[in-house]
Amino acid sequence: MPTGRGDSLMSRKIINTNPISRIEGDASFIIELKDKRPEDIKLRVFEAPRFFEGFLIGRTPQEAIDFTARICGICPVAYQMSAVHAIEKLYGIEVSEEIKALRRLLYCGEWIESHCLHIYLLQGPDFYNLTDAWSSKDYIDILKKGLSMKRVGNKLIEIIGGRSIHPVSVKIGGFYNFPEKRQLTELLPEIERAYEESLKMIRWASSLHYPELEMEQTFLSLGDMGEYPMNYGLVISNSGLKIEMDQFLALISEFQLPYSNALFSGIRDGEAIKPYIVGPIARLNLNYKYIPHEIKSAMKEAGIYLPLNSIYQSIIARTIEVSFAFYEAMRLIKDYEEPENTPYEYKPIHGKTVWITEAPRGMLIHVYELNEKGCIKEARLIPPTSQNLYHMEYSLRLFFKKYSVEIPPEQIKRTCERIVRSYDPCISCSVHMVEI
Amino acid sequence: MKKLRIGIFKLTSCDGCQLVLLNLEETLLELFRFYEIAYFREGTDRTLKDTFDLSIIEGSITTERQKEEVFEIRERSRKVITVGACATSGGIQALRNWSSLGFLKNIVYPSPEHIEALSTSTPVSEHIYVDYELWGCPISKNNLEEVLIDFILEKTPRIPVYSLCMECKRKAIPCVLVSSGQPCLGPITKAGCGSICPSFGRPCYGCFGPKEGANINSFGRILEKSGISEKDYLRLLDQMNSYAYRKRRFTNE
Repeated sequence: MPTGRGDSLMSRKIINTNPISRIEGDASFIIELKDKRPEDIKLRVFEAPRFFEGFLIGRTPQEAIDFTARICGICPVAYQMSAVHAIEKLYGIEVSEEIKALRRLLYCGEWIESHCLHIYLLQGPDFYNLTDAWSSKDYIDILKKGLSMKRVGNKLIEIIGGRSIHPVSVKIGGFYNFPEKRQLTELLPEIERAYEESLKMIRWASSLHYPELEMEQTFLSLGDMGEYPMNYGLVISNSGLKIEMDQFLALISEFQLPYSNALFSGIRDGEAIKPYIVGPIARLNLNYKYIPHEIKSAMKEAGIYLPLNSIYQSIIARTIEVSFAFYEAMRLIKDYEEPENTPYEYKPIHGKTVWITEAPRGMLIHVYELNEKGCIKEARLIPPTSQNLYHMEYSLRLFFKKYSVEIPPEQIKRTCERIVRSYDPCISCSVHMVEI
Repeated sequence: MKKLRIGIFKLTSCDGCQLVLLNLEETLLELFRFYEIAYFREGTDRTLKDTFDLSIIEGSITTERQKEEVFEIRERSRKVITVGACATSGGIQALRNWSSLGFLKNIVYPSPEHIEALSTSTPVSEHIYVDYELWGCPISKNNLEEVLIDFILEKTPRIPVYSLCMECKRKAIPCVLVSSGQPCLGPITKAGCGSICPSFGRPCYGCFGPKEGANINSFGRILEKSGISEKDYLRLLDQMNSYAYRKRRFTNE
């Protein structure tokens, strides 16, 4: 209890904010004010846990592909991709180039759909001070453009996977079904139009007003595979890291905080555990050389130079990746040949496997250990959002330090929400991790 | 015409069914002529207030707080519709209903004492009165569109309750159960997805839950004849609609 004179003049106040809107899942802030000045901020994840790692135990590897997709309705393909590659690695299956290409095409669809949702429906309204994407006449044209691009991404997933949410075609060794070339080429004119539109949106993204929030940071993504990363690569960083996927696991540390249902993770640096960023901004900064010339020109015309250092600008990276995904989709469709599944003889294999793919939001790590019956003994899933959470809090604190003047809590909350939204967090994903 | 106030709520789920709503895309903009989105945390900053003509709930009940939340939604709403496998049958997370929660918490979290969760995952209709249920993991876009239009017209939606087999027959998809002997849940599962899996030569794995009057046990006996053990059959049922299939299995024993 405050007794001294000095103390009685000091006031401490803890504010639990309303849930953050326009993000995927349930989270809020705990803001601490001292003398009406911002003192500390925490990100509270109260999304109810679903215990996926628990009920995957005893299930078959094929079931892992369909079960883990249910973790996230926005990026189910990512879960299927990380799972199927992890299992195939353990089984020693090398799929054909045609299967690889079709999986990459499926992923393009998801990047488009997920990025457009975030750019145009969730984050975009922030730059116009709107409460949502549909209630202002000034924004409706932008929304319409965004939705029509998003629809093309969805159509691509529907053709390959049967439906855009929780598609059903991915299986060990390939696919349950292959689209006919005609089905894909019929979509080409629409993709071409959407691609042209997306190039214009790069300029739009660069014209938005970005508050300053520059910082020193570690970006991590897959890379070094001669292409913009999706399903394959080494883990690379802007500080020269370049290691195999399974070695990367030893470098990260997951920890739990009492106010959160999600685990946080950081990268070990000697004794310290440091926050890092995964996702479009990290991917683009680290893999710019693989961006096609046409898109590079559009970036140059729009005055975009890398590296992007403010997390607010991740919307720029997302916009560029939408163009990239359309470009890549056109290339893959033109080269498409109906593949054949890679045959494999099923026998129970016991062992441990790690795979990472680039989900729309960044590296998605799957680790499985199978028992002697070939069923899952242990599963560990580390989604991009849980990797970004630590960095999110770091950015929020940085903002706090910088603006430690008297500002109304409502304004603090609004600014903090904008910071959190820039990461495109998927809170539903983040509450399914396992202890190391 | 005064716009209808609609609220969209999320409990424990993957967000996929809310995304189906956003995937209505251009139709969505048309629907805005009739509906005012009065609450939808994933899409708008508007805070919870007043009452709703229609509330749509995604997700299952897995915490104490959610139990209170659905009561409040019910009180504020003229009609309540639940969407998706989570809200209508507890979802994939209802697999916890057949496992110890302590065990699951320990597997997932280093400090399980901080985690608040009920030991079961249950459908919303076990807690409040629900006017209409839209099944599926995820729900079908067409069904959602139909329900939203029917509500404007004040008419009862007529979403099929018959089995998936009907859809396969109508589309002339060769039966994966009869012709290739794969364990397909189609005969006991609601139609609605458009027979996606069978059209890919893959057996149905039950996204839309048990059809009305499905005889789960008798179907199990048929599968047993083609070499699917009771254990394997139960495992097939134990996916996204585990709770609903198990309940039905018990009641028609």
